This record gives sequence, C-alpha cells and structure tokens, in this order.
Amino acid sequence: MSLTDLMSMAKPNLESREKILVKLIGKELLNCFQCIKCTSGCTALKLLELKPHEIVKLVSLGFVDELASSDIIWTCVTCLKCLQRCPRKASPYHVIIALRNLAVEREAKVPEGYLKAVSQIIETGLAESVQKVVTKKMETFDREGLKLPRITLPKESFQATFMKVMEER
Amino acid sequence: MKVAVFWGCRILTSQYAYEMSIRQAFPRLDVELVDLPEFHCCGDPVKSMNDVAANYLATRVLALASTTGLDNLLVPCNRCHFVASESKYFMEKNGKISQKITSLLKEEGLEYNPSIKVWHTIDFLHNLVGLDDIKKAVRKPLLGLKLATHVGCQIIRYSDLGRVDDAENPRKLDELVGALGAETVDYAEKLDCCGANLMYSHTDTALSLAGTKMKALQNLMVDGLVVSCPDCGLMFDFKQKDAEATVGAKLDLPVLYYTQLLGWSLDIEQKQLGLHLNQSPVEKLLARVSI
Repeated sequence: MSLTDLMSMAKPNLESREKILVKLIGKELLNCFQCIKCTSGCTALKLLELKPHEIVKLVSLGFVDELASSDIIWTCVTCLKCLQRCPRKASPYHVIIALRNLAVEREAKVPEGYLKAVSQIIETGLAESVQKVVTKKMETFDREGLKLPRITLPKESFQATFMKVMEER
Repeated sequence: MKVAVFWGCRILTSQYAYEMSIRQAFPRLDVELVDLPEFHCCGDPVKSMNDVAANYLATRVLALASTTGLDNLLVPCNRCHFVASESKYFMEKNGKISQKITSLLKEEGLEYNPSIKVWHTIDFLHNLVGLDDIKKAVRKPLLGLKLATHVGCQIIRYSDLGRVDDAENPRKLDELVGALGAETVDYAEKLDCCGANLMYSHTDTALSLAGTKMKALQNLMVDGLVVSCPDCGLMFDFKQKDAEATVGAKLDLPVLYYTQLLGWSLDIEQKQLGLHLNQSPVEKLLARVSI
C-alpha cells in the first residue's frame, strides 16, 4: 500500500505528533520547506520508494500513527545523506529513527533482524553470534584457529542495566 | 603510541581479516593496541528500537575506553564510529540525555570522560601516523595497481559530529592507498552505499545495492576495491556471490580491507593478514604485484 493510500482516510493526531517532536533534539523538523534535496539523494528511493521529504511533511501534519505502523519507515539504509544535505537541519534520518522507536513502543511489527539483535545483546553482549568462516579452499576457521584473542563478555550488571533502559520509554 | 581499540560485533564475529590485519600492521607503524576490558554492542541496531538504550551502550564503550587510561580510542567499524561519535556529541550538547546516561553508568561504577577522542582506521592512519611514516615503512610498493576506494557512509556524515573526512569529496583513503604506491580512480558511484543496514529488513535490496556498485566498478577495469568498514567488507567481499543474482551479472571483483593492503606492502605474510579468508578473488590482485 502506498503512503497516499494510507493517508487518504486518515485524520491528523496532534498528540502522536508531539510524541515524535519530543524525541527530536529541538524541533527542526518544522523548519522543512520541502526542497526535496533529501529525497533526490536518498539511497532507498530507487528500490524501495522511500521519500524522506514526504515523511517529514506527514509528521508535521500529524499523520504519525499511520507512519508508525507502516513498513516504509524500515526501508531507510541510514546512509545519513538526507541529514548531511538538509539546508534546514530537519534531519529526516532522526525523524525516521523516532518513528521506529514509537513503532517499537506501540508493539507494531518490527523487522525480525532488529529483535534478534536485541535478544542477542541481552544474552551475550554482542548483537551477532560468533561465526566460523569457510575459505575458498573449504578450510574452516574460528577465532582460535586464527590466533585471535578470546572475546571478553561484559559483566552481569551490564545486562541488568541494559534491560532496564530498554523497558523505559 | 598507544591506543585503545573497540572492535564492535561485526569484526569480532565474522570479519576476522580486518581485525587480523590491524593487529599485524599497526605495531609495524609503532602503534600499540590496547583492547577494552569488555566487549559489547555499540548500540547501532538498538538505535531503531530505543534511542536512549543505544546511547547508553555507546557511552558505556567510551567510559570503558577511559578506564584504560588512554585518551585515544580506535573504532575501525563505520557504524560503531558513528554511534560512538553521536553519543559523545549528545553527552556534550544535550543535558537531558547526558544526565540520564551519567546516572546509569554510575550504577556500574563507570564514568564518561569528555577527553576521550574517537578515531577510525582512516583518520588514525592519515592524521596521527601520517602519510610520510607510512611511505617510509613500505617494503613492497604496489606500483602499477589501479584501485577504487569505498569509504562508506557513516564515517563521513553528518558533519556536525566532526567526521573522518569530507562528506561529499572524501580523499583520505585515496591518499592512504597512494602512500603504498598504487593509483586510485574517481568514479560516479563512489559515495553509493553498500546497503548493509538493509540486511536486517530487506536482504535482496541490500544485495542489489552492493551488486550495482560492483558491476559499475568492473566496467571501469580496476584491479580491485579497497574498503575500511566491516559492513562494506561483508557486502562487497563475503556476499559478492549472493549479489550476482540480484544484478544479473558475473561479479569477479577483488575486494580487500585497506589494512590488508597496508600489511601486504609492509611485507607481512598473507595468512597473518587473513588474505585467505576473503571470498572475492584477491589472488588476482596480489598476483599483479608479486615479484
């Protein structure tokens, strides 16, 4: 479903809009004058039809609920070009991150990769599991075989604090 | 010179060649590496879930770095470098976040120290070690090689944080390659992203971004692609064969880390630099410089 379809029946929700604004450092989002520099350089535009200028405009109009439950916010590659090039410091990147955070708070669907990373951090401290690598000659190596030092995992107090921050809104 | 190192998950769990080549090459340039007492995630994937938790993780890394007594922290991964730099920026500019994180760290007896400086492989070698010292250390100049560089996204943007190189025209990696005697090319797709971050949600699109860039590079007839980020290494080297299908072309491009190339020209043995771990045909490139 395209964003236009999503919005045609929607009503702005100013309370939800405020939830995004407080997450942003300052309220630069409202400075956006739709020059579309962000969208013209967006990595995710061509293949996934992400249009950062639309996201920014929709948030400033109050269509936050629709965006937070849409797949479109998960298409950002985080290349940071939009933020670098924005003449008004509106930072579509930070708006998208704030929308993703809101989606998580509301328990909307979140791509599995992110959920896996977080549960992995709680378990081991690292976001990924340690892999064995296979060379082109089909030899298998792990860290030990490559004479790399052992990984020192964080103290237990780390896990407890991390879980506490994750649960706070 | 002594420097603390924060490796990050991608390097520690699969991009071993980057770690091996840094551990081998840096001491040859009189740099002693000091690992942090604990290893954990920098917070990057957590940013999308809970920004405060991500900043807590990144600032904890900075606080752990300070426990080594050193002021310089090397962060060889682009994503980790960005998250660490942005947290540092928030700790210094944003009272609300900094207060919250300071109290969380205090619970564990840790403290953020603003004197910590965050370096990436590229600016560490370019600004602190210096091109002249690298040139002097080279034993095997890479004469006749024509290479392309890919600096990645997050170490050059956004400039408010103070980044490793210019956002629109990064030159440092090219100059570092030049210091080893090889030539670099400028190309239209130089700033195009490798797509790694989409591996969490849109795998095919991620591979197609990487594949499109490699296809363009093959048409330029370069001898290889030089990267300096474990995500870019994963996409261009480890996933090169997977990317073929998404762009409908045979991909056969040697891809290696700058530190592998550096180590090679410092005459370090191939296996110590993890050159046997690269999945792309690096032997093609190495054969061109072998005497």
